Amino acid sequence: MDFNLSDLQRMLLDSAERFIGDHYSLEHRRALRDTADGIDHSAWQTFAELGWLAILVPEELGGLGGAMTDVAVLAGALGNRCVREPFTGTAVLAATILAGAQSAQDAVVESLVAGQARIALAHDEPGERYADSAPRHSALVAGGPGFVLSGQKMMVLDGPTATHFIVTAQGPEGLTLVLVEDGADGVARSDYALYDDSRASDLTLSGVTVGAGQILATGEAAQALLSLALDRARVTLAAQSVGSMEAELEICSAYLKERQQFGHPIGKFQALQHIMADMFVATHQARSMLYFALSRLEQPASVRERAVALARVHIAEAAQLVSRQSIQLHGGYGVTDEYEVSHHYRRQLVLEKQFGDIGFSLARASA
Amino acid sequence: MDLAIDRELDDFRAMVREAIAEMLPPRIAELQKAHGGINSGHAETLEWTRILNERGWSVPHWPAEYGGTGWSPMQLYVFNDEASKAWAPDTCWGATHMCGPVIYTFGSDAQKETFLTAFREGRYFLAQGFSEPGNGSDLARLRTAARREGDRYIVNGQKIWTGGAFASEWGFFLVRTNPDVKPQAGISFLMIKLDSPGVTIRRIPQINGDADLCEVFLDNVEVPAENLIGEEGMGWTYAKFLLDHERTTSSFIFYNKRELARAKALAAAELIDGKPAAEHPEFRSRITRLEAEVTALEWSVLRELANEEFKYDRTAAASTLKVVGSRLQQAVTELQVDLLGPRALRFHAFEPEDRVDAGPLWPTHAEGRTANALIARASTIYGGTLQVQKGIISKLAFGL
Repeated sequence: MDFNLSDLQRMLLDSAERFIGDHYSLEHRRALRDTADGIDHSAWQTFAELGWLAILVPEELGGLGGAMTDVAVLAGALGNRCVREPFTGTAVLAATILAGAQSAQDAVVESLVAGQARIALAHDEPGERYADSAPRHSALVAGGPGFVLSGQKMMVLDGPTATHFIVTAQGPEGLTLVLVEDGADGVARSDYALYDDSRASDLTLSGVTVGAGQILATGEAAQALLSLALDRARVTLAAQSVGSMEAELEICSAYLKERQQFGHPIGKFQALQHIMADMFVATHQARSMLYFALSRLEQPASVRERAVALARVHIAEAAQLVSRQSIQLHGGYGVTDEYEVSHHYRRQLVLEKQFGDIGFSLARASA
Repeated sequence: MDLAIDRELDDFRAMVREAIAEMLPPRIAELQKAHGGINSGHAETLEWTRILNERGWSVPHWPAEYGGTGWSPMQLYVFNDEASKAWAPDTCWGATHMCGPVIYTFGSDAQKETFLTAFREGRYFLAQGFSEPGNGSDLARLRTAARREGDRYIVNGQKIWTGGAFASEWGFFLVRTNPDVKPQAGISFLMIKLDSPGVTIRRIPQINGDADLCEVFLDNVEVPAENLIGEEGMGWTYAKFLLDHERTTSSFIFYNKRELARAKALAAAELIDGKPAAEHPEFRSRITRLEAEVTALEWSVLRELANEEFKYDRTAAASTLKVVGSRLQQAVTELQVDLLGPRALRFHAFEPEDRVDAGPLWPTHAEGRTANALIARASTIYGGTLQVQKGIISKLAFGL
């Protein structure tokens, strides 16, 4: 076993820390919030130039053919600065599904790698929560030259800046993954902001025309592909969460040395030292759990799913401890928009509730 | 980054599993299973050490020149994992894991010959005389005095929490040889034979009905000067060395894995309203969370064994293993108690002749669980309290 970074991973991390560290200051992130769609388009181009969007894309499709350990290294750096660009949806979830699609998607993959296409998963529907394999109400039926797609989707993460959607629907062959372009006839989007300043959309699909070339997978193959893509996405979120925790350790320990009360830096008080120790322990254990999940990603689906669920429970609960105590250690400043810790708290909340929260993961790991 | 366990370890695991199954007397395994604690059966512990020694495996972690096997850290990990799963007792911890490494690192050739051979061959139990009634966490201020007179020391004082002293032939002691320097600098490391005149041992009745912990009174005990290990005044350094020597053992990872597996078996066997406890949502969630924590702990141990580059002081990581490992010992044994429900309340004596007869109402799996959970309250106290560990982490990781 080797937990140390390979030379390539070291280069990846160095460039990620340099670019993200220079670019994603708190001021910059707060400024981005006031833009129309919330994303940093020029930074996204840099993501593409640095090869970050190509990590999971197979070499024969013009990608780097990398591994989830590489993604986790990068995701940790993104989490460090609460970077909320649509990396997970596009470069992990969509890249996985497109690479495994039954119909060739070379052009879309090429444009994904180039930073032009951003692709969001449109899965959740009203009245359900984290429906992993439940039948979709959205329906794909034969009609016109091919098929017609209708349905209601909600909480499509990063929907406003997506160029394409991967829509889950019930088709003639069961679960079907359909690639739909934003702006296609019959696609209506309603956009909103989330508490971490990322964006999401509700999607109404009304008789959208679908050709055979847009069908990515059907039936059991669709289920398996979706499940793999979601598990990879969950681990990517968990890696961001660990990155956020690790940043909070630095932020809080620095603050405890600088903030004075009762004539001392507050870090002199044992009650606060022990809170920092608890945060250190939780963060260390969370990173161990991330490694465990990564080690199980290539194993049979049942092993992989359970490991990811266990890791998500553990890491999300550790993240709650760390992000809550980070606010507590900052006193009143902790709940202001001026201070980093409130952004980490909000980001952790969003990371926890994407693609399965603690309750969902706990039930899944206990099954 | 390579997160897969080496394939070669699978063969090694199969080999040691088979060997342990062949060597371990069922009687010893059954006793260990009934107690499940750390100190169960001094005689059986020594018997198992002797059996292991016949194969050259009683001190596998020692350097080869002193009887070690030359196994890699991962092989040692696998061996200990398999031994624990098979319900083998540990060897005498004080001898093979604490005092032994101090002697082979700092001791004289004669001391190595005398003590290392005895430890390796399981000739006797060894007690640890560190804590004193007035000096627990603040160990450096210990007061037991050893005054040099010619070729011997005269030792006076009192030790406490000396596990298994009543069943031990020797003890390794921290004593004050110089009262006139700063506390840490006046401490020496002394081997004392426990049947020496002036040594009185009193067993302390414990919360769980056992009485393994002892008080040791030393009243003008004469100790040959040749029993001083290393140099006078270096005892504190040696003690720190031994506590630091094995960074992963305080995780109790094998204990925690094994006892969690036992809790799962209990959950399947115990019925609540006609349904196994394992099917009740509150127990399922508790078991899942503990399994996640134990899994994370195991991977924290693997990170340490694989020598992961670490941006913080490594001792902070070792203290993390101790914090989590001790908390888990309590949580997992408490879960066992709760799985048994009211049946957990029945007192079980430690003496074999006073054992409960197994039957449908009182299956053997109920025996010993509560005793184990009760003494597990000490896991966040011995070896540096939880609060001491947190202090170490906040200082070494953050400079607070």
